[in-house]
Amino acid sequence: MPLFVKLRSLLRNLFLSRRVEVDLDREVHAHLELLTDENIRAGMSPKEAQRTARVELGGVEQVKEQVREKQMGNWLHSVMSDCRYGARQFRRNLGFTLVAVFTLALGIGANTAIFSVINSVLLRPLPYHDPDDLVMLWESNSQHVNSHNTVSPPNFLDWQSRNSVFSSMSFIFDERDNLTGNGDPEEVVVQDVSTNFFSLLGVNPLLGPGFTPENGQPGHDNVVIFSYGLWKERFAGDPSIVGKSVLLNGHPQTVVGVTPQNFDWFIKDGSLTGAKPQMWSPFLFPQAFHDHKQMGRFMSVAARLKPGVTHWQAQIEMSTIAARLEQEDPDFNGHWGVNVVSLRDQISGDLRPALLILFGAVAFVLLIACANVSSLLLARAGSREREMAIRTAMGASRWRIARQLLIESLLLALIGGGSGVALAVWGTNTLLTASPQNLLDLRAVSMDLRVLLFAVAATLLAGLLFGFLPSYISAHSRISETLKEAGRGSSSASRRAFARNAFVVAQLGLALVLLTGSGLLIRSFVRLIGVDPGFDTAHLLTFKIALPRSKYSTDQLRAAFFQQLLSRISTVPGVRSATMESFPPLTGLGAATDVRLLSQRSVARSDLPVANVRVVGPDYFGTMSIPLRAGRLFNTQELAAEKHVTIINQAFADKYLHGVNPLGQKAVIYMKSDAEAENQPSEIIGVVGDVHQLGLDTAPEPTVYWPHSELVMSGMTILARASNNPLALLSTIRNQLQQLDPELPMAAVATMDQLLADSLSRSRFTMLLLGIFAMVALMLAAVGIYGLIAYSVTQRTQELGIRIALGAQRRDVLRLVLKQGTRLTLLGVAIGVLAALALSRVLGTLLFGVSATDPLTFAGVAGLLAIVALLACFIPARRATRVDPMIALRYE
Amino acid sequence: VNSEPTTLLQETWDLLILKSLIVGEMHGWGISRRTQQIAGTTFVVKPGSLFPALHRMEEEGWISCFWGSLGTQPLREILPLDQGWTEATGSRSQAMRAHFLGYCAGFGSFVERCSVCRSL
Repeated sequence: MPLFVKLRSLLRNLFLSRRVEVDLDREVHAHLELLTDENIRAGMSPKEAQRTARVELGGVEQVKEQVREKQMGNWLHSVMSDCRYGARQFRRNLGFTLVAVFTLALGIGANTAIFSVINSVLLRPLPYHDPDDLVMLWESNSQHVNSHNTVSPPNFLDWQSRNSVFSSMSFIFDERDNLTGNGDPEEVVVQDVSTNFFSLLGVNPLLGPGFTPENGQPGHDNVVIFSYGLWKERFAGDPSIVGKSVLLNGHPQTVVGVTPQNFDWFIKDGSLTGAKPQMWSPFLFPQAFHDHKQMGRFMSVAARLKPGVTHWQAQIEMSTIAARLEQEDPDFNGHWGVNVVSLRDQISGDLRPALLILFGAVAFVLLIACANVSSLLLARAGSREREMAIRTAMGASRWRIARQLLIESLLLALIGGGSGVALAVWGTNTLLTASPQNLLDLRAVSMDLRVLLFAVAATLLAGLLFGFLPSYISAHSRISETLKEAGRGSSSASRRAFARNAFVVAQLGLALVLLTGSGLLIRSFVRLIGVDPGFDTAHLLTFKIALPRSKYSTDQLRAAFFQQLLSRISTVPGVRSATMESFPPLTGLGAATDVRLLSQRSVARSDLPVANVRVVGPDYFGTMSIPLRAGRLFNTQELAAEKHVTIINQAFADKYLHGVNPLGQKAVIYMKSDAEAENQPSEIIGVVGDVHQLGLDTAPEPTVYWPHSELVMSGMTILARASNNPLALLSTIRNQLQQLDPELPMAAVATMDQLLADSLSRSRFTMLLLGIFAMVALMLAAVGIYGLIAYSVTQRTQELGIRIALGAQRRDVLRLVLKQGTRLTLLGVAIGVLAALALSRVLGTLLFGVSATDPLTFAGVAGLLAIVALLACFIPARRATRVDPMIALRYE
Repeated sequence: VNSEPTTLLQETWDLLILKSLIVGEMHGWGISRRTQQIAGTTFVVKPGSLFPALHRMEEEGWISCFWGSLGTQPLREILPLDQGWTEATGSRSQAMRAHFLGYCAGFGSFVERCSVCRSL
């Protein structure tokens, strides 16, 4: 009941304030009249009676004010009036307000933008059922670097039958297939999966029944599920697509489903195509897999943990199973273990360090911004000290003063935060357009409630952070001192000066840390682009051709097609030469296998050296400008027919042959089959220079080259060296292809320079963002020290005037002012260098060819910061030298 | 300035107002006169402090106010609510009385003449 009464009073005070006021006024006046009447009855004249009554009452307005203070909701009223007062203050000091709001908007906006990316990449649940229970299973070999190696089918079967920690397990491997009929031929990326793939993820198709266990039976597996994108683009979102038939590599397949729009399954590790899937198809293991006869490792495996089973329990059990498999088949499974990786880590694990570092960087930017605004408020508090002293003298409590200043700060923070969120929306869009497609999924990053809550929290925190010290100092100033000394030289003024100096030092230190980070990344990037890829990337056109096995069923047909295609492309005017290769360089794609050198003593299969195998076309090394180091290149006969010859790269010779002459040595390259008898040893006929096949940041790996005749692959990347812009030749080359086979699509068309740029995109993106944040930090810190010095010059105008009047030279004044700035700068740089030394190692994996404590970078950014800071001090210092002693002395 | 006597006085003040209401006063005017009588020389009752107290008590739900009149003069009529009775006679007011007696005793000489103590 009392609560209801209180609530009613509160609402009445807030919403019927006019009626409450009228009632109050009538009540007080009635009382006054009764008092007056009484006085008249006591014999006073009406005038005197009224006066005495007023005295007794204590003043109509004062009484009303006292009542108002007691009224419920008064607190809210006074907060509102503080807000109104603050807003008026801001309007009056528009310059100050704009600078503060802009600074805060930068800080909060940058934080919100980066957080929205972190939210979508690291925090937002993955679009699968209970995504935290999903894991990827990889094989890992203690002798190889790659801990995310693809899985062999027999091992998959053994894992599936022996484990007790997973409720289900599915394999995935992708390939490019030709989709024909209904429109132009198109190469699509198809993921071959087990039929439980979608039920494992807990995803139901948008349309159609999806895969059923029956589709796992021979004869029932000619079904496909379309991705939403493919369905929309190629079939215009045809609602009756389910049940229709399409031709995949010439074979009819029935459409049994379309995935939901937000469904996606793209794990870069283990992907053979390196592209997002557009179609899914069930794959049946041939008997050979069940009989442990096919031993290649090529599949990705996803699994769902049983309820209550932890990631670590799963890892322990799988390691035990792997150890048993190693004992059972040491030849194939020697040194191989199982690596259980949570799906979240799998998807965002390699983005995480860069994102967290960027998040740290924007937090620093916000801290610097807060220090700037706080410093501005401190300077303003100095000039408002009288106002505060008078308020205190009139009875305002410390809390009241502190509250008013804090409310002003929060108001400022809210305006800054609001602009910051707007800036973040714009910034995120820019970020996403600027970010390479393969780095961030454009659709995934968006503002949601969590991002807004983050922005609000950041705003309030910033407001409290920059508002606390100024309001604390103002609330604790001694009024008698203030009123006597006009705010100068008082204890609160010196506290403020100390705080502002400390802020500037902290800002410079923080800015230096960011500059160091971005300096190190820039140095890394310069190192990275300075790496010689090992071949000439200029004017090189690349595209992929995948021959359908149904039409090109024999090696002869495939070899003949590629030979004709290359000779046709070579005749195109503008093409200098053309060749082909199994995988385009710099895309991270490749195939590796065991190699046995006959000259070396025999070891177990699992202890053999590993090399990349690249199948190349005629004139490959010439077209690519890869230098021959020893021996000779493939001759015409070797290119035309299987002659069991190979060319190795320098890394292979260095790593595995240790100075022994490689020429004439024989090596068994286990690529065609796992059976020993089917692998004829190849003779090493030449050594060529190293190529950074997997990317500039990856050291060249031991590689063996085979002519296409040795292993006639059906999917090859065509490389055409043009004398000028290669994209201009694209339509002519496509014509040539269509004359040869109108059904064949050209896939993954790109110039080598584009592929090179793509391979650098992540490094460039991180470097660019950190660079931008560091520049913002530098700018804010420069503004901070500029503001401080400019303020102190204004404060010292009189002193400087006296000095000049007494004969101080311009140089002396300049030195005097700069001395303050220099001291702060040096202190800031010293603290910053120490902090950067402690923090720069978090960059760890993002650095390339540069140590985290690279002295050159440290010296460079320290110098840059010092120069910028001193320049910022120089402007007010110069103004100080122009002080007119007459005006300065008349000032007070 | 120690704040304890201030709150003590305020609470005593509330209690005095409630007591005078229970005796039968109906208008702020009467309450003001009545409490001044009680307070006598112990402290001065200013009408200026009566109104805030009345408003606070109304918002606390101790009393209820509505517009009435005294002769031709429109006046707010005041009725104590249940909560007000409880406050005036309950255990809290007992404790407060003991407290005030202790405070009043601190003044020494005029304690035996203190009308507030007697009326509480």
